[in-house]
Amino acid sequence: MTRSGTALLLLACALSARAAPVKTGVLRWGGDSAGGAPFVFQDPKDLAKTVGFEVDLAEALAAELGLKALFVQNQWDSLVPGLKRGDYDVVLNGLEITEDRKAEVEFSEPYYLTYEALTVRKNSDDIAALADLKGRRAGTLKGALAERLLARIAGVAVVGYDTQTMLYDDLALGRIDAVLLDHPAAVYYAIDPRLKNLPGRFGRMAYGAAIRKGDAQLLARVNAALARLMKSGRLREIYERWGIWNPVMAAAFVDDHPERRAEASAYAGYLAARGVRLGWRAKLAKYAGYVPLLAKGAVTTVELSLLAMGIAVVLGLALALMKLYGPMPVSALATVYVEVIRGSPLLIQLFLIFYGLPTLGIKLQPFTAAVLGLALNYGAYEAEVYRAGIQSIPHAQMEAAFALGMTRWQALRHIIIPQALRVVLPPTTNDFIALLKDSSLVSVITMVELTRVYGQLAGSTYDYMGIGILTALMYVLIGLPFVRLSRWAEARLAVERRPRIS
Amino acid sequence: MLVAKGLCKTFHGRQVLRGVDFEAGPGELIVIVGRSGCGKSTLLRCLNGLELFDEGSIRFGNLVLDGGRDDRKIRALRANFGMVFQSFNLFPHLDLLGNLVAAPMIVKGMSRKQAEAIALPLLEKVGLTGHARHYPGQMSGGQQQRAAIARALAMSPTVMLYDEPTSALDPWLVDEVFDVMRKLNAEGMTQIVVTHETRFAREVAREIVFMEDGGVVEKGAPEQIFNRPRDPRTIKYMSRFAA
Repeated sequence: MTRSGTALLLLACALSARAAPVKTGVLRWGGDSAGGAPFVFQDPKDLAKTVGFEVDLAEALAAELGLKALFVQNQWDSLVPGLKRGDYDVVLNGLEITEDRKAEVEFSEPYYLTYEALTVRKNSDDIAALADLKGRRAGTLKGALAERLLARIAGVAVVGYDTQTMLYDDLALGRIDAVLLDHPAAVYYAIDPRLKNLPGRFGRMAYGAAIRKGDAQLLARVNAALARLMKSGRLREIYERWGIWNPVMAAAFVDDHPERRAEASAYAGYLAARGVRLGWRAKLAKYAGYVPLLAKGAVTTVELSLLAMGIAVVLGLALALMKLYGPMPVSALATVYVEVIRGSPLLIQLFLIFYGLPTLGIKLQPFTAAVLGLALNYGAYEAEVYRAGIQSIPHAQMEAAFALGMTRWQALRHIIIPQALRVVLPPTTNDFIALLKDSSLVSVITMVELTRVYGQLAGSTYDYMGIGILTALMYVLIGLPFVRLSRWAEARLAVERRPRIS
Repeated sequence: MLVAKGLCKTFHGRQVLRGVDFEAGPGELIVIVGRSGCGKSTLLRCLNGLELFDEGSIRFGNLVLDGGRDDRKIRALRANFGMVFQSFNLFPHLDLLGNLVAAPMIVKGMSRKQAEAIALPLLEKVGLTGHARHYPGQMSGGQQQRAAIARALAMSPTVMLYDEPTSALDPWLVDEVFDVMRKLNAEGMTQIVVTHETRFAREVAREIVFMEDGGVVEKGAPEQIFNRPRDPRTIKYMSRFAA
């Protein structure tokens, strides 16, 4: 599994800092359970459970080290920055050992070796090798090694996807002509009866456990433990259980024993779970079963959004007043803040706060960083809303307050702002609804909120549509009470609309 | 009591006041008349510091203001004036009583009880008892302007300034506002009024000040200014009312 090594990742890498030593008795390991089978994923049979061959590997490794394995969820793109930040001590999640990454982290000896596999529709007999893809559309995951391999062949239209499920679905539907992807992914996702996996092996990839630079002691211990697991056959057993033992591994492990050490029971269980066809009653029961997990994510979403909006409102008002009434340097400062924050992506701001600030010695908890990031960003938007609101109140109101002896601050506080409040209530509610949904971006800093839960569930059940609709509904339901509250407040404040007396 | 000397003000390159002298004694009601743009509103707004002037001085008792932006001085001067605007400018988010008690509570730090003890008799004086809980948007223009007068009085000013107080009112609502001003005049309140209503000016004013082009052309008793103006500009202006 090699996904996007984007500019963001590099930025975050460059900024992330050194951190805490290994916690006693525990091996904290990082992975992304939305990444898909068979690496680390939610068990389709019991969605609260995280399973995968790397989960088994982590447990075996921890046992070998005399520790207890503790899984830490983080978005795949952020696994390396999170490691450097010290949120966990090892990354075990299909991290390919590449030169780029070696500059950032240490890698153990490879624990798994694989290659790219080509999948086509059953009826496409004219594709057998990469060269046959000329003039056709080939799909793969964005940023995978396969994407680079495909780019080298002239005349291939390369289509990048975000999830394995959609990739192979599109192949079955005929939107693309072939898929080139890591062999384990092909084993687990190219299971539609309309598809076939070709025997060719393309390229070679080695997955290693990533460890912070300078953590030489842990690196040595992990390498030693891996060697013992390899020698005892325990590793092969895990891979066979998951159905992903391959000839390349056999050669590398010098273990070409033809006899299986274990049945592919985990793989069979996975296939059984995927193959189940449900009646509508069972389907409803299944969706009902997702609700508690989604609701847990929704609670996080609401907590985050409410706190962030509360701070954004105060910050926005302060910025608006600075802009309108501050002396030159102060109003200029507010203008610069608004333009810079509003003009740059929230995603990058979150990265800077979470992975960048530790370089300055400020290490925030994920929740704090998420609230702060959203609040600082939305504060800039609120500032403009409140500026417009304050300016919509006729200047005569300010003059009347002055004429009665009030200072500017008194006039603002008691006369202008209370009137502007009513004007800005609808756009502020608007922004809050937008914030509810934007809060899904905080999954890049390890927060598990509603959209992240959706990703985990959909990635494990392959039901992007059904769970997607369920998730969208949850967002609407979360927002509705606040919309009602805002309408009620608006009606209460709308004094002008009170009936005229004679 | 109130003496302004040589007030000059330039606004966007246009001289709106060119050396205006103005005086008002205790209990006097002075009406300023003149065409729109002659500077009469600007003069009024300079008197309580809502507008800054470039040259000249304003003396009130032993307070002297000579241009410049000294906020404390301006607010000290302003505390002696109440102002009534053409468009009432009541606070629409507060009910009538709220409008009256706001400034005493905020500026003078009174308790609500103290402020209401001042406000309720004022509501009675302007004939709005029973409207205390109504909002400005629920009242007629005449009621709103009377409320605005009461609001200004709640700060116990020495001088009341009126900037075309009846211009935004239907003709049949004008008198209810002037009646309040007559009552205040009888009580000895000093009042300076910018208005186009000659009938009121003739009847109540002690002095009429006629302004044109940023300067005072002529001032005198109503009878003299309206019936026997001396300056040709005053004659021309008044001729329109003669018919």
